[in-house]
Amino acid sequence: MEISKPSSRKAQWRKISLPYLYLLPAFLIMGIITFYPLIYQIIISFTNFDTKHLLLGLKSPELEFIGLKNYIDIFTAALPVENFNFFRVLEFNFWWALSNVMLHVPAGVLIATLLNTEGLWMKRIYRAVYILPVVVPPLVVATVWTNIFDERYGAMNQLLANISTYFGNTGPIFIRWFEDVKPPIPGFLPGAPLTLAYYAMMIANFWLGWPFMSVVATGALQSIPRDLYEAASIDGATGGQQFWNITVPLLRPAMIPAAVYGFTLSFNLFNFVFFMTGGGPARSTELLVTFAYNLVRNLRWYGVAAAFAVIIFGVAMIVFLITNRITRATQNYSEA
Amino acid sequence: MASVTYNNVVKKFGDLTIIKNLNISVQDKEFLVLVGPSGCGKTTALRLLAGLEEITGGEIVIGDRVVNDVAPKDRDIAMVFQSYALYPHLSVYDNMAFGLKLRKTPKEEIKRRVNEAAEILGITDLLQRKPRQLSGGQRQRVAVGRAIVREPKVFLFDEPLSNLDAKLRVQMRAEISKLHQRLQTTFIYVTHDQTEAMTMASRIAVINKGNLQQLDTPQNLYDLPNNLFVAGFIGSPAMNFFPAKLTKSGDKIVVDTGDFQVRIPDSHSAPYKSMDGRSVIFGIRPENIHDPEFAPQNINGEKVASKVDVTELMGNETLIYLVSGRNTFVGRVDPRSKLRVNDTTQVIFDMDKFHIFDGNTEEAIR
Repeated sequence: MEISKPSSRKAQWRKISLPYLYLLPAFLIMGIITFYPLIYQIIISFTNFDTKHLLLGLKSPELEFIGLKNYIDIFTAALPVENFNFFRVLEFNFWWALSNVMLHVPAGVLIATLLNTEGLWMKRIYRAVYILPVVVPPLVVATVWTNIFDERYGAMNQLLANISTYFGNTGPIFIRWFEDVKPPIPGFLPGAPLTLAYYAMMIANFWLGWPFMSVVATGALQSIPRDLYEAASIDGATGGQQFWNITVPLLRPAMIPAAVYGFTLSFNLFNFVFFMTGGGPARSTELLVTFAYNLVRNLRWYGVAAAFAVIIFGVAMIVFLITNRITRATQNYSEA
Repeated sequence: MASVTYNNVVKKFGDLTIIKNLNISVQDKEFLVLVGPSGCGKTTALRLLAGLEEITGGEIVIGDRVVNDVAPKDRDIAMVFQSYALYPHLSVYDNMAFGLKLRKTPKEEIKRRVNEAAEILGITDLLQRKPRQLSGGQRQRVAVGRAIVREPKVFLFDEPLSNLDAKLRVQMRAEISKLHQRLQTTFIYVTHDQTEAMTMASRIAVINKGNLQQLDTPQNLYDLPNNLFVAGFIGSPAMNFFPAKLTKSGDKIVVDTGDFQVRIPDSHSAPYKSMDGRSVIFGIRPENIHDPEFAPQNINGEKVASKVDVTELMGNETLIYLVSGRNTFVGRVDPRSKLRVNDTTQVIFDMDKFHIFDGNTEEAIR
């Protein structure tokens, strides 16, 4: 016993330290590519970091620590940027992500359910076709949809003109989708009026967004046992009652994580907004990420941008914590 | 409460005929078991009755109503599935109440019926749980409870015990029998397990390859099987079969298997008198083969020379696997038997209890 004691202590130490040893390489890499920039960014968010400090960085003699000024400027809309109001952008950003998901998920589920009908011809082809939007590069999608919403030559205005002929209209229609600042439904979202550009982006993003939800729903539909529908039909449920009482609740465990994922995706949908509207008109479709990009790329206010990024980080963190809780709250019903 | 009748029922899936021409009539309050090997069409027959499959030909009658084109929910039936098919997101109570809620039954009535069913099945303390928190046996009870609360005319069971372990199966078997006595309703029960069929049924329908082989009480099926299939399917261990020829030896009819010969006693020989030289299959159940030391005295015993291949001691009985020439067969003998592997012996066939089937048609000759 006495002899084995020190060696067992050593073995115990090895047992404790071994996992950390395995984690070390990952920690090193993450330290270099994640934590170093993160900390660097937090530091410069308290400075007036500018183009002239790029060469020497934090060692630059003119670099001033200005405390929370950047943050205060952002929150109080004191930045010398036209049409900027942080809380309006934040509100719009949340609404944008939420409204997208609220549209994509039900549409995806509905279409998946319809395409899951027994005996439907060419099921596999439909499923292959509707996955296409997911694999097209976002820049291409944004360009195509920008052209569709073109004021003079866009397909959307032509379509509306064609439809309106049935209501007695004869002339062409020129809706300025991306320029009109007047909200078509006034007061719809108090504090952040939704311009036509928002609706145009909703349409475009719908095209991009529902197929993913449909793919998830299709997979989940396959895993609902047929027995349940049979039992329900004997219990007296009609098709609609089966959909609401079996399909919907049993899809929920699959659809909520997908919705959460869709929410975060839309929340940070940089490419789309940037290439379609550029955040306009009058910053009405600006997202947090596109605005942060503007601060760096166009205005080159690195200090402010860093502060802004820290704020986004905070917002993203809150979103993550909430969604994580939602996801965990809907564990599988696991029928063992 | 209602009778159920299958009239010339045919079911095809594309070119595949699952049920060829099924005629069964189930009386009111009867416990009918459909039994047969997997793929014989028994489950399809039940699903046709439930309305989960469309009938290809013939008609199904529940009570005095042809239900061919009646939706499952309007047939006044309830079904217990092999997989239980409990709604995983609903509590036990809601699972049982689901059908009643859809039918807009008043809340108090639902509560009364669910509680009553829960009491019968002993699951009152599980009502608030979700199916995933239940054991297999408990889920089975809930599935049965869901059927009970509907108070249907006919209960359908589709292999309800096959997902349970052996001990629980025996227990649930007794409970389902009890339930039938208590509810006094028509039960139609599908299983591939002949023991389940024998223990629970008031009558059994043996089905093979989409055809009804025999419909009779358990005892009659066991004692007087109509054909080789029924004889082999009912009973465990299965009946022993020997390809043989009927020959005459003096005024006796003899079954000649090539390896051994047994004489048919005069009291049973009448149907075989004119069958000299006929190819038949001779059948005898394991319990009618005796260890010579313990054979009962008052039987028409015939000695068959054979060698012991394997013995299985069960405690209350011993199964001995015997070889005689090309034939292997099983005897279920007295547990005191001293026969051991490789012993040669003269086992006794009880010739008051044998079966003879036509060699070609496999129909019983008696």
